[in-house]
Amino acid sequence: MPDLVVEALRVSFPGLAAPVLDVPALTVRAGERVAITGPSGSGKSTLVNMLTGLDRPKTGRILWDGTDLATLGEGGRDRWRAGHVGLVMQDFHLFPGLDAFENVLLPARLGRLHVPADLKERARALIARVGLPRPEQAIETLSRGEMQRVAVARALLNRPGILVADEPTASLDAEAGQVVADLLVELAAAEGATLIAVTHDERLAARADRRIALKAGRIVADGPVLPDAAEVRP
Amino acid sequence: MIPFRLIAADLRRHLPGALMIVLLIAAATGLGVAVTLQERALRLGSARAADRFDLVVGAAASETQLVLSSVFLQPSPLPLMPGDVLAKLAADPRAAWVAPVGFGDNFEGYPVVGSATAFITDGGRSAPSEGRSFERMSEAVIGSAVPMPLGALVKPQHGAAGEGGHTHTEFAYTVVGRMAPTGTPWDRAILVPVEGVWRIHGLGHSHEDGDDHDGSDHDHDQDGAPDHAAADHDHEADGHEADGHDAHAADFDAPLSHWDADGPGVPAIIVKARSIADAYRMRQDYRHAPTLAVFPAEVLTRLYATLGDARRVLTLVALGTEALVAASVMLVTVVHLGQRRRELGALRALGASRGVIFGLVWSEILSLIGAGVALGFGIGYVGARLVSGVLESQSGIHLPVVFEPEDLGFALMLLGIAAVIAAVPALLAFRQPPAAALRS
Repeated sequence: MPDLVVEALRVSFPGLAAPVLDVPALTVRAGERVAITGPSGSGKSTLVNMLTGLDRPKTGRILWDGTDLATLGEGGRDRWRAGHVGLVMQDFHLFPGLDAFENVLLPARLGRLHVPADLKERARALIARVGLPRPEQAIETLSRGEMQRVAVARALLNRPGILVADEPTASLDAEAGQVVADLLVELAAAEGATLIAVTHDERLAARADRRIALKAGRIVADGPVLPDAAEVRP
Repeated sequence: MIPFRLIAADLRRHLPGALMIVLLIAAATGLGVAVTLQERALRLGSARAADRFDLVVGAAASETQLVLSSVFLQPSPLPLMPGDVLAKLAADPRAAWVAPVGFGDNFEGYPVVGSATAFITDGGRSAPSEGRSFERMSEAVIGSAVPMPLGALVKPQHGAAGEGGHTHTEFAYTVVGRMAPTGTPWDRAILVPVEGVWRIHGLGHSHEDGDDHDGSDHDHDQDGAPDHAAADHDHEADGHEADGHDAHAADFDAPLSHWDADGPGVPAIIVKARSIADAYRMRQDYRHAPTLAVFPAEVLTRLYATLGDARRVLTLVALGTEALVAASVMLVTVVHLGQRRRELGALRALGASRGVIFGLVWSEILSLIGAGVALGFGIGYVGARLVSGVLESQSGIHLPVVFEPEDLGFALMLLGIAAVIAAVPALLAFRQPPAAALRS
């Protein structure tokens, strides 16, 4: 399980005076569950892109278990991401035309021609675990909550060491959001994955071990989540 | 590596658009293929039709007209050669066989062509598929496509097929044989002895050679026939039958003879030479006025050159259409790619490499184009077959629609261009940063 060490990370866009992200130092222990909060424009998405290797910083280092994403090329980061990261996105990004099972299996199909039977078995098990009765159900017929649960199952298929969720509950109603938040926290723990969740959702943030608050690209608060924080906002 | 299920799913989602693209490509490809196949069919068909005709000798006039009339039985008023040409050619030792071609009459739309047994049997080397060749002036052999039974009566009507004209009611040929199919206009012809044609038209009356030819009156075997026969028969004037024509009718039943130097003229003579060298020498000898000798193949080659020019123009039109289609396909795919940006970005986020993204976009476009090209070849083939069918029924020339190895080259060229075209949107997708694509 990888530890994360971020050093002197600075992301600027041309034409903007202030950097959109400026993180001098950040360490996340393997298996930790971290909620990243902050208003929009605070640099959360940029941070997620950097931590998952979707984007590469020009300055600074992002070390996952010693691998510096800043030094990897596009192809290298693709391979690293395929091997280490499970991603859950706000808009689910399920693929219409494929059923739930095939959507969960998609990350495996991207890397190989033949998907081994044990991965298919795992896909079925994950679908059952997130509470979907029928793996062959067409994606279009699912509720939004169910869609996000399929996305969670998909993110976990390749047993990633890092589970990254970008506003996973933002487009769900409260009830469905709660189910997805629970699943993320429970499954990350069960799989032993580090969970990094960018969220506005107090219910999800409250279930993390640690909360990092961003504002204008800087970390303005970083600390353990109080046990009773979940009760702050029902 | 490339998740083909994703391609299938995307195509299913955009089925009407995908079908449209396939049909567009198929139509453009089909046009080009049909032009190529049709031109080839015309070339092959006419070359095969001319196969039997080594050398054609006619009166000095248009070579093309001579070939079109004799080989393809296109009705046209050919000038006649002097009568001695036929006799001279028939006596020429370099000729394996010689057969005159005399036109003018038709029966129920089928041209009645005067010729000789040698043409029917290819100089004795083959036999009619049914029955036998004609032996008497009153006998006829029909082409394979003439729907008549053996024994049927043919009463020739004056004029070319479809022109109408009066009927030579007093003369009737009996069908005694049917030729094997040749895939030429001759399949629709009724072949009769050229002597019969002469007789009906009041020619060939002066047979003084005392042969067994011109059985006068009712006595076939009599020799020294007086020149009484057809000269006084004004066939133009009568539409009635029987009265006063007994003599002619009997005359008409005469066996065939050799051709005389003072026989009537014929418009064309088919000559089968004993050797290629003989053919060339005979062409040399007969290409001066008043005759003209041509190799039909040579004349056809000139016609093909013209045909080839037409094909080139049509091919350019087809290629232009294909280029337009290619451009519109590229436009559509680039637009479609814009709609798929987030989807492709999500795939990258899920661990797809840029190669997978490139392959995904590229193979999807190529599969559409491939399907279109395949369908287009089918459309082109069917189209050429239909056109060939219509032309065949009109001309009688069998027009074989066949693919040749070079067509595979054309298909591969199209796919090669398609591969390059498909690479453009695929490269755009390849270069797209995943983070930017994911941003909502």
